[in-house]
Amino acid sequence: MDFAYTAEQEALRREVRQFIKDNVTPEVADETNPETASERPRGTGPAAAALYKRIYERGWLGITYPKAYGGQGGDRLTQYIVEEEFTRAGINITLGGSGAPAIMAAGTEEQKQFYIPRLIKREVSFCLGFTEPHAGADLANLRCSAVRDGDDYVINGQKMYTSAAHMSTHIYLMARTDRNAAKHDGISIFLFPMDTPGITVRPLWTIQNNPTAPAGTTYGNSRTNETFFDDVRIHKSCLLGEENKGWRVGSMGLNLDRVGAARYLISVRRDEDIVNWVKRNKFDGFAPGQNPAIRDKIAEMWIEAQVCRLMTMRSMSIVERGGKFTYEGSAEKVWAPEHGVRISEAITQMLGPYGSLLRTSPHAIEDGVFAHNVMGSFQSGINHGSVQVMRDQVARRGLELPSSRRPKKVEAK
Amino acid sequence: MDVLLNDDETLIVDSAREFLTGECPVKLVRAMEADALGYSKELWAKVAELGWQGMCMPEKVGGSNMPLVYLGLVLREAGRALAPLPLHCTAVASLAIARDGSEAQQEKYLPDVVAGKSVMTWAFTESDPRFIPEAVQMSAKAQGDNFVLDGVKLFVDNFPGADHCVVVARTTAGSKGAQGLTLFIVDAKSQGLSQVPLITLAKDKQSEVTFKGVIVPKANVIGSVGEAWPIVERMLDRGTALLCAQMVGAARKDIEMAIEYAKFRTAFGQPIGSFQSVQHTCADMQIWVDGGEMLTFEALWKIDQGLPASVEVSQAKAFCNEKCEAAVRNSQSIHGGIGFMMEFDLQLWFRRVSAWTMRMGTSFEHRARIAHALIDIPGEVTLGRPLPTA
Repeated sequence: MDFAYTAEQEALRREVRQFIKDNVTPEVADETNPETASERPRGTGPAAAALYKRIYERGWLGITYPKAYGGQGGDRLTQYIVEEEFTRAGINITLGGSGAPAIMAAGTEEQKQFYIPRLIKREVSFCLGFTEPHAGADLANLRCSAVRDGDDYVINGQKMYTSAAHMSTHIYLMARTDRNAAKHDGISIFLFPMDTPGITVRPLWTIQNNPTAPAGTTYGNSRTNETFFDDVRIHKSCLLGEENKGWRVGSMGLNLDRVGAARYLISVRRDEDIVNWVKRNKFDGFAPGQNPAIRDKIAEMWIEAQVCRLMTMRSMSIVERGGKFTYEGSAEKVWAPEHGVRISEAITQMLGPYGSLLRTSPHAIEDGVFAHNVMGSFQSGINHGSVQVMRDQVARRGLELPSSRRPKKVEAK
Repeated sequence: MDVLLNDDETLIVDSAREFLTGECPVKLVRAMEADALGYSKELWAKVAELGWQGMCMPEKVGGSNMPLVYLGLVLREAGRALAPLPLHCTAVASLAIARDGSEAQQEKYLPDVVAGKSVMTWAFTESDPRFIPEAVQMSAKAQGDNFVLDGVKLFVDNFPGADHCVVVARTTAGSKGAQGLTLFIVDAKSQGLSQVPLITLAKDKQSEVTFKGVIVPKANVIGSVGEAWPIVERMLDRGTALLCAQMVGAARKDIEMAIEYAKFRTAFGQPIGSFQSVQHTCADMQIWVDGGEMLTFEALWKIDQGLPASVEVSQAKAFCNEKCEAAVRNSQSIHGGIGFMMEFDLQLWFRRVSAWTMRMGTSFEHRARIAHALIDIPGEVTLGRPLPTA
């Protein structure tokens, strides 16, 4: 066991911090803020583009990807350290979700050569086209179809919560290629540009809209989308992995997407914020930080946040050793999001009515982040596999408890 | 950074588990609950051959000078097997001597500990159960080359079987708080000592020990007279972290029993483990025990590195107190009525884990310590980084 970073890793962290201090200007912050940047592709403002170029030149983008594909061939912990610092500064340096890991796992050489370097340089970005109106937790129930026609596939259907669809260059889409196969067996994955004819993106506004949430809010996005596909014709080379084997490809990407610094921090930032806030503030004569019940709750939440951190470190350790998760990633995806909810709700009871004030309101505390977090925190327990589904996985994969038998269909009378 | 066991640590766990599986059957655990001494002298001698008592003792007294993490792993396995051994209390007392005692004290007391010829325990708590210096009232008055101890200690672990007891007392009359405390090595067979057994949930051996004019030589003072608090605090931190290791070991075994039970016990025509309410309960139990275990070993590891670890120790204990208790209670629930039966083994783990949650600091005390470190010491806090220090 070793719970510390090496001197080298500590030096790297200092280096990243200094870089952020020197380079993350207010203009950059404005351009990379998903709220203010919501109408243009992410990170393509001039200041942000220049920043990402400098980050790339430092070798801090695509750290864990092989050098042959424009990455650094570095380890997971280096990625973690750099990602943690940039995430704290509001800069997303991840390759944006499950697309890149899935391409590395299942892509052709050509696909790897095309996508990975461009994802790293942020010339390409994916939105995730998995969920549908009738397929959420039961994702394999999806209906969006891809029908082979000569050298092409023709896509028809609808995807829900394609959050980055309005600012991504490409989509990472799961569709049904065989209607007659068993539920999980007729599914395939496709990668194609968002400007392909026949794609319509419509905004769906979240409860974080009007006013929009301050930076750093857990699920502070004011916008997600629904995306429609009407006879969208794509070349067969857009297929990722084998036809009808897409279920396994999709799950591989998702599992790797559930761990890392960005995932960890969205659940624990408020723990830090509330401690630092009560240290400096009081309401007239009432100092919440001196109230024994509040102190007890703050400590309780702090401990839970440490468990979030340690679970992340455990995942890192497993990946670094070249092992595979049985249940650990899923366990983390239960504990951390639920902790995020508990701390958010606990803070509301420390601040009383001030906890309800949104950004831009008079008397709002910390720009309203605590109030916005009440709306956003539970969201991380829903997306990318709900906590209920994750508990199923811990129980069945980790503890080897038996699958429940399918309930018999109730006959209509 | 690698929070998983390395090869050496795995070897320690595997060999301890194999040994205890063979040498510590449930039958022995049950027999020792009814035994006056409460532990098996035979088993104590055997684990001394394996070097458990001497694991973290200096080499000059015959120990192997290993990290505390290794002893934590052994205690985890001992907890898993509910091994009826005075291992924890001996570790707490002997480590205080090994880390803060004089050369002469180490040479006098520790070789017998390493050899398994001596059992040690420690006494801090009096009527106020909190682990704060204010709770110590026992008086120690200087008299020639000796001190004379008067007062009553509570919850002293394995006292009837102990040869020596490390005792905290107040050498400065009228002093308050951390000032004026001194730590003594007391011969447990001294004149003026008497004990009354307490009847505990764990059915382990805890005593009320009365000191009436007990004479202790000045040579038996650990550290300096009146300045024991930092030594005592380190002793309690080590002991608390080691108790957590024992607790997570027992809780792990306990939940494994429930998970196994859920796989074959059928109801409504299928194993109860196929019902989601049971599955999700088991998933939570696993997450809780995992969390407690990682917090515990991070604390032990930090102590090994000589880093500040009080907050980490308190994190582990407060979390284990609540989550291990919840885990073993859920195991009871999954077992239904049979888990409530004396003849069924599950209760042995349930009662011990429960009792251990109440020892060496309640959740409230430990969280108060964390809150103090977080809130009362100026400076920004950042998760995953050392906290500001005063």
